[in-house]
Amino acid sequence: MGKVREVEVLLGPQHPGAPGNVAFRLKLDGERVIDADVIPGYLHRGFEKMMEYRWWEVDVVMSARFCVEDPDNFELAYVRAAEDVYGVEPPEKARRVRTIIAEMGRIQSHLFWLLFIGGVVGARYIPSWAMAAREEILKWYDYITGHRVYHHYMVPGGIRWNIPQDFQERTLKVLRFVERIVNDIKRALFDNKIFQARTRGMGVLKASDAIRLGATGPVLRGSGVRHDIRIVDPYEAYDEVEFEVPVGEYGDSYDRCLVRLKEIYQSISIIRQLVGKVSPDGIYRYKIPLVAPPGEGIGRVETARGEYLIHITSTGGQTPYRVRLRTPSMAHLTTVIKHVLRNEEITIADFPVFVKSLDPCAPDLDR
Amino acid sequence: MVMVLSSIILGLKYLFTRPYTRLVPEKEPPFKTETTRGRHVLFMEKCTGCTMCQRVCPADAIQMVKVEGEWKMNRKKIFPRIDMQRCTFCAMCVEVCPTGALAMTDMTGWDMTTDNKETTMYMPYQLTPPEGHKLTVTKQKWIPPPPMFKPKPKVPPKKATR
Ligand code: SF4
Ligand code: SF4
Repeated sequence: MGKVREVEVLLGPQHPGAPGNVAFRLKLDGERVIDADVIPGYLHRGFEKMMEYRWWEVDVVMSARFCVEDPDNFELAYVRAAEDVYGVEPPEKARRVRTIIAEMGRIQSHLFWLLFIGGVVGARYIPSWAMAAREEILKWYDYITGHRVYHHYMVPGGIRWNIPQDFQERTLKVLRFVERIVNDIKRALFDNKIFQARTRGMGVLKASDAIRLGATGPVLRGSGVRHDIRIVDPYEAYDEVEFEVPVGEYGDSYDRCLVRLKEIYQSISIIRQLVGKVSPDGIYRYKIPLVAPPGEGIGRVETARGEYLIHITSTGGQTPYRVRLRTPSMAHLTTVIKHVLRNEEITIADFPVFVKSLDPCAPDLDR
Repeated sequence: MVMVLSSIILGLKYLFTRPYTRLVPEKEPPFKTETTRGRHVLFMEKCTGCTMCQRVCPADAIQMVKVEGEWKMNRKKIFPRIDMQRCTFCAMCVEVCPTGALAMTDMTGWDMTTDNKETTMYMPYQLTPPEGHKLTVTKQKWIPPPPMFKPKPKVPPKKATR
């Protein structure tokens, strides 16, 4: 009867369905979302420029802030790039401890994400258990590193200070607690038919499209591509451990969620394998000189959201000459969303679920 | 209904467990450990006024101010003042201080909450050990100091590889 009218709706940045401080300009045709433009910039702080004005060791403080939910992997990438510039090999113990810290970061990031995915499908009660598990991890961080969220524990050349005497017992205790809660969440949320009905078959991303659009991390693996930087280009202590890379089957939202859940178990297993190999004795750090040699450095890690790359150029000064980042959420929030909306009927009610199943991080989009 | 029964049963189990959240500050103090990084302490008799802490601070929270008095170690009579509104509690200043004049306590932002912005700037003589708080991060953390990395004399610039 009446001709089709497109309605423009703004979603976010202050909206429970929006992933953090990022907004969308949605084009609606009735219920269906036909296009979404991301409006970035709410969290832009100019980190790439700021890092050019701070010493090499101090830039760790900057790099943790690219992503609030998963700061450790971002720290790790910077630290590896700076070590590449200096040509310093960190002590073996530091490499293992850094791997443990980074994997804990992955777990707590996925646990935090569980709360949000629960929120957008309307199940806030069950994922709130995940916050208890995350809280235990944050307390563990506070004990080891001195801070709950931004740890600044890795430095170029090793770890900032030595691990405490009861590192092993504490870590294993936290892991037991987390595993128990994640088991319960798996039964209560992922086996729940209502949750499956909201996510199954929705937001399908085929493997070929995922590769073409630059998706990485759980989004790519959810589409069935077994690609993980920890496997294809092992860094730190990942060549010492054995773990599986969970992949999805259909590439829909449920597969992406399930990949994240399975990754929590894999991270727990990685930490269990490594924690027995570290002890408080021995060198934990080489202090690096203030002035770096001229050259370039690259750090490439698998963060909780995907592949992250940092490239640093040094002209032989106290500070980097130029820092360039490639963060995972950029591709997910722009190309992937547009592609799926074009090919599939996603309603406004499903849109937040779909976006959250990509687990984008607004700070790393804007940085 | 049958399909979601197990969720409901599990939910009931959690409903009757002890609440995980804690009542702060009525019942319990905020969570702290012996490594928690919080408000600084400045031991003025140790400070030499070398301005290293000012130069390292990533948040530009430290400025040097003059304090009159007899300072044997500090000829220029300049000491750091710290703006807690800017400070990120990274402990870089503690690490870099050559004499161990700066330290951190477990007085976190929670304890420093205030509705008066003027009080967040701590002058050198205000940075005394706060009552009821322990020293946490001190220079002791880096004793013995980690060995220095000796770079090779000439590092050729690397080619980017694909
Ligand atoms: S803790 Fe960090 S941010 Fe705070 S004053 Fe010291 S160096 Fe600056
Ligand atoms: S506190 Fe330490 S680093 Fe800062 S001026 Fe005094 S001696 Fe130097």
